[in-house]
Amino acid sequence: MKILNKLSRLVLIFLMLVAINACTTDDLDPTLEQNKLVEVDIKSDNNVYAILKGALSRLTATGYYGRDYIINNEVRTDNCFSNGNSGRFSTQAALDYNANTGFFWDEAFRVIASVNLIIAQVPEDLEGDKDYIKHMQGQAYVIRALVHFDLLKQYGQMNAGGTLGVPYVSEFATTLNAAKVNITPARKPVDECVTLIMADLAKGFDMMDVKYDISKTFINKFAAKAIESNVALYFKMWDKAITAAEAVIGSGKYSIIAKDNFVKSFEESPVVPNSIFELAFNDTDTRGINGLAYIYRGTSYGDVQVIDEVANIFHVDDVRKGILGFEGVRLRNMGKYPDMLGIDNVFIIRYEEIILNYAEALLEKGEAAKALAQLNLIASNRGIPAYTTVTKDIILDERRKELMFEGKRFDDLMRTGSDIKKYSSQQNFKATIPYGDFRLAFPIPKAEMDANSNMVQNAGY
Amino acid sequence: MKKFALLLLCVTFMGMHIVNAQVKTISGTVTSSEDGSSIPGVSVVVKGTTIGTTTNIDGNYQMQVPDDAAVVVFSFVGMKAIEVPITGSTVNATLEPDYIGVEEVMVLGYASHRKSEMTGSSVQLSGDELADIPVASIDKALQGRVAGVEISSASGTPGSVANIRIRGVSSITAGNNPLYVVDGVPIVNEDISSSSASSSFSTLAAIDPNNIESITVLKDATATAAYGARGANGVIVITTKSGKKGKASINVSATYGISNDAIDGPKVLTAAQAEELFIEQIMNTFGVGTVEDAKKHYFYTTWNGGKYVKWNEDGRPEGNWAKVITNKNAPMKEFNVSATGGENAVSYYTSLSYLDQEATVIGSTYERISGALNLNVDLSKSFKFNTKNTVSYSKQDGLLENSAYFSSPRTIKYFMPATSLPYNEDGSIKLDNPGSLPNPLWIAQEDLNLSKYTRILSNNSITWDTPIDNLVFSTRATIDYHVYNYQQYQNPVSGDGDGATRGAAWHTFRNRANYVIQNRLDYELLLGEKHSFSMTALQEYQVNKLYYLSADGENFSDVGLTYLNSAGKPTGANSWFTDWHIASYLGMVHYSFDEARFVADFSYRREGSSRFAASKRWGNFWAVGAAWNLTREDFISNVDFINTLKLRTSYGVSGNANIDLNQFDPLLNYNSDYNGEGASYPGNFGNNDLSWETVNNLDVGIDFGFLNSRINGSFGYYYRETKDMLLEVPLSLTTGFDEQTRNIGRMMNKGFEAELSIDVIRSKDFNINIGGNLGTNKNEVLELAKDLNGDEVNITSTIDRVETGHPVYGWYMPTWAGVNPETGQEEWYIDINENEDKTTNFNSAKQVWQGGSAIPKITAGANIHVDFKGFFVDASAYFAGGHKVYEGWHRYTNSLGLYGSYVFQSMDVVLDRWKEPGDKARYGKSYFGTKPWQRHSKFLYDGDYLRLKDVTIGYNFQKSIVDKIGLAGLKVFVKGTNLLTWVKDDNLKYDPEVGTDGESGLETPAVRSYIMGINVKF
Repeated sequence: MKILNKLSRLVLIFLMLVAINACTTDDLDPTLEQNKLVEVDIKSDNNVYAILKGALSRLTATGYYGRDYIINNEVRTDNCFSNGNSGRFSTQAALDYNANTGFFWDEAFRVIASVNLIIAQVPEDLEGDKDYIKHMQGQAYVIRALVHFDLLKQYGQMNAGGTLGVPYVSEFATTLNAAKVNITPARKPVDECVTLIMADLAKGFDMMDVKYDISKTFINKFAAKAIESNVALYFKMWDKAITAAEAVIGSGKYSIIAKDNFVKSFEESPVVPNSIFELAFNDTDTRGINGLAYIYRGTSYGDVQVIDEVANIFHVDDVRKGILGFEGVRLRNMGKYPDMLGIDNVFIIRYEEIILNYAEALLEKGEAAKALAQLNLIASNRGIPAYTTVTKDIILDERRKELMFEGKRFDDLMRTGSDIKKYSSQQNFKATIPYGDFRLAFPIPKAEMDANSNMVQNAGY
Repeated sequence: MKKFALLLLCVTFMGMHIVNAQVKTISGTVTSSEDGSSIPGVSVVVKGTTIGTTTNIDGNYQMQVPDDAAVVVFSFVGMKAIEVPITGSTVNATLEPDYIGVEEVMVLGYASHRKSEMTGSSVQLSGDELADIPVASIDKALQGRVAGVEISSASGTPGSVANIRIRGVSSITAGNNPLYVVDGVPIVNEDISSSSASSSFSTLAAIDPNNIESITVLKDATATAAYGARGANGVIVITTKSGKKGKASINVSATYGISNDAIDGPKVLTAAQAEELFIEQIMNTFGVGTVEDAKKHYFYTTWNGGKYVKWNEDGRPEGNWAKVITNKNAPMKEFNVSATGGENAVSYYTSLSYLDQEATVIGSTYERISGALNLNVDLSKSFKFNTKNTVSYSKQDGLLENSAYFSSPRTIKYFMPATSLPYNEDGSIKLDNPGSLPNPLWIAQEDLNLSKYTRILSNNSITWDTPIDNLVFSTRATIDYHVYNYQQYQNPVSGDGDGATRGAAWHTFRNRANYVIQNRLDYELLLGEKHSFSMTALQEYQVNKLYYLSADGENFSDVGLTYLNSAGKPTGANSWFTDWHIASYLGMVHYSFDEARFVADFSYRREGSSRFAASKRWGNFWAVGAAWNLTREDFISNVDFINTLKLRTSYGVSGNANIDLNQFDPLLNYNSDYNGEGASYPGNFGNNDLSWETVNNLDVGIDFGFLNSRINGSFGYYYRETKDMLLEVPLSLTTGFDEQTRNIGRMMNKGFEAELSIDVIRSKDFNINIGGNLGTNKNEVLELAKDLNGDEVNITSTIDRVETGHPVYGWYMPTWAGVNPETGQEEWYIDINENEDKTTNFNSAKQVWQGGSAIPKITAGANIHVDFKGFFVDASAYFAGGHKVYEGWHRYTNSLGLYGSYVFQSMDVVLDRWKEPGDKARYGKSYFGTKPWQRHSKFLYDGDYLRLKDVTIGYNFQKSIVDKIGLAGLKVFVKGTNLLTWVKDDNLKYDPEVGTDGESGLETPAVRSYIMGINVKF
């Protein structure tokens, strides 16, 4: 009996200790302090707003509008080259890339995933202002169009002798719906991509309401039209380019920056009247060495240098010449993205571009006089004599001077079927790159090729 | 000891009672058969009685025995007992050592077994073997000591981590580091450094090797399955020293030494060589005919400031940057004081130590202070309390060595042009050299990469010897608490913080609390005479909480102000918290038949982890093992020369779950902002089926001891197959995600292991022992994920690839075809698997498997020990081979373009270049320009190397001398580490010991140290 007594006490103590320490499956739930669940925690307009800001933040990535997308469109032109100071952008400037470099493919599709998550929401099921949610979904459609347009310009085969575009991704996928969504999409033909881009822009425009257009650092109704004019111009849909540009101009919301304010307008400044859509950068982004300013100047990186001959293309009174400057013997972009900490906002579309789009489309439609008038709106605000005649080359030259270093030059060369001329020994490539060369389309990243057997690589890689 | 004392007491009392009987006196001397020296403390007992005594300090005894006493039994620990008949009044004895009798007890963390009862292939090392090696963390000292254990340290910076791979690489995503268990409790061991750029920082370095009693490396299933989910990569069991009862024994040791790089590394071009190359580039590229014309060319005179014109004007000065960045004869010193003792119910071990070590590169140091207090207290007859406590504080000023950061002096060594100068004419540090590289002297003086780390490890247990015979209950609570902070500071004048930044500082704070609570029941059962069982039931719960806080700022008004208080502009703040939990239930049965003639082990562990979805959270892990001691069989026990012969085998399943936290749910992340407002984005794809990765582990082996155990060793074979492998399966990037963590795929590792130790000479005054170990490993990926079209999803980089049929991360790159002797162009095979067609266009050369990977196929260690009358010599060597090493950074450091001649610097190996048709050269024609990364097999080298790890010469003062000066022991020694390194491939100029990715980097190489030490026992 005594033994039994002892034994029962023992068992009791043991069970007690084990019970204190025991745990069930629920006890093993991790604490989610920094995360929430995609399927349950998007509950209100405010939650959608956060995801929208997340999408815009992804647009500002160094690999995208934060630096690389813009620089790649400058170093592969007659504007800039890479001096190799820190080893950056010399590959791109020599058009000597291969599929091991992903460029902005992944960054771009991350933005698309974010906006697709917004589009997947049902406004009626969420708390808050339903119209505002629809407005934000409109922005999401426009961003989706913008990013696919960027992808198409860089990876599509239209300038490299082919017809394939890019996959058009319109659904947000996670493990929860992976069985229903095609997560290994194939490339669509270029013309289909264009149709889808235009459709998204139209849908976005319709869903947005001007009463919610509060900031140029977000997509607004007329940014949709501005982007539409760009897409139309790129693919030579002159009528659409004209109507879209007219919609922007007709809104009366924007004006050309005045001559004296031109250089200043690129400094960190409050809202400028020529901005249609810009990405916000500020102190907290701590872009620093990985920003645009650091690559355009300085000795730490400063790889992207302006070709010496560029100094001579400006009229002596052209205020845009003030963007240029010297660091020692190096010709530099000193004026655009001037802050070395990288806190200047980055223009995605500004009003001058729309005016030049408009002029070019008018000229293509045979309305030279109207085109000249538009062109001279720019000239008169830049301190240069008014043009008396207008040609396509004049407009393109004016675009080059106006938008120099803003990542537009490569697109202009491509959409006009131009060769990339080797005219300076500073340029990193060895000889003129004829239009149609395979290098004018980026390779599809190797990581994509490996993970997606429906993907087709561009010729030459 | 206590029992022995009791026995002595009894014996003495007994002796007193017998005085009255009819007695005679006998006396004699007991000596050792090895060297004839006398042995004190030998038990001398009349056979069949309790009458006896012990020998005195000179080995003599004297006692009174009954007249009829006929035989005396002499016995002593570690010696064979003998019986000597009483033939007169003098009875002498000579004792032979009993090498088999002192059987090692293997500590396996949750259990301990005598070596003969081991069914697995664990290897145990004593702390004394490793204590004098001048490394901060004990893992680095294990290199070459255990068969099948590969250890490589990417960096020789003091306090940095070592990478340990036990029996190859079994996981792609879930990590390959072994589990560390200290005093029976799993701990977190990691590189705690906040900056992936800065030197790594080992949390294990917080544990002073001087406090370590033993280390056991668990490799097989029976030993590792007990650790369930975390045992798959093997387990390293560390046991710290416990108190020993008796008079206080105090041990004081001091070590001083100096270190230099074990490998000189590649040599760079002189300024004149670089100029010559630059001129040649202008001639080659712009069709300039003569050197004179080239010197008049725009690119020589004007371009980028005409560097060489100015250099010639200045009198062609030479900057020797290798010398500038070297901390020659970097000092190290270590002091340690420990004491152990105890009486009655309490015994203690306590220690305090200090280590101070400088790196072989400027601006980097490591310092550690640690203390330990371990107590055993008998609370009552049946309750015992044990506590082991370690506290340490360490500090590392590291360097940005983990890439080619311009601020790292190691980068400067290979990147800074020799035309740049370290000093101004007035001797001050020159800051205005052209180019983007800062002066490392200034950086070392001004910038900081400072880690400070405190670790508190407290392990407390109560053991209750329950009223039920042989049933012991114990409960243990452990806290392992880490406090880490990191300061990165970049001065405003020159370097990463110059220009508009005006100085930058980043401070981080990280604290980790790791609690483990264990309850266990142990029961010993003897059924009949021959069946012995020991059974354990154990419950364990572990919680790990990690908190992180950081802040950064810019714009400092002066140099020397490194705290954020002086930053003009705050630029960021961050904090986060994560946790994980593990719950487990473990049962173990150890069965021994007929005193270990047959041994069997069973273990089963059920474990739940917070890393998986609720429905997939629990996993089952088990193992069985068996051993047969042939020496217990008659047909072997009669064979004289065989002392030990054991066959053993085990099979079991252990697991691995060491993946990123919270991967199973699709999550929204919030660490984003736009326009100064918080933002969110979808963070991961999720996988609700995510569960354990398992490793199935087969082990067979034989352990042997021959010729009076002069020859000991083992030979074994292992086969490990990883199933349901946790894999970050690449997703189409169009999803917006890079990958999804899935349980898919299989991988195997197999190989042989051998250990051998031979006592060539064995005596009291003169011993020679040689030993060695060897392990082979063959790794192969058996199965991977497939995409919707059934195509295998490989993981491919520019130089390696995960692909079935090859070792994991097998080298995979275009094959270099040499330099065309006619044109000077570098050429590659288009597809060497198809034909020998060559191309000069790198992009059209196909990536192919190069045969091999970064994992050594063979690792081996060898050691020799010689001692003679207190003098001793130890030496050990390590070999790793059958793997390949890729030279990182060659785009810059092996450039025949402007990176080599103008912008940066180049290795002098590029001088072996093509100049004119007919030249056979390793490098092609030089050119004015830069090339993108082109990684190919020219830069893939055989990784085989042999390293003389250490040589120690010392003297243990003879007892007679020590006694005279009133000490209990005195030892002095000098030691050299990494004295010689042989590298198979002449092209591999860097330290052949590289990180686990197999790519050489710009880290501090292994160090060659010379140290001297003294060890005094009171």
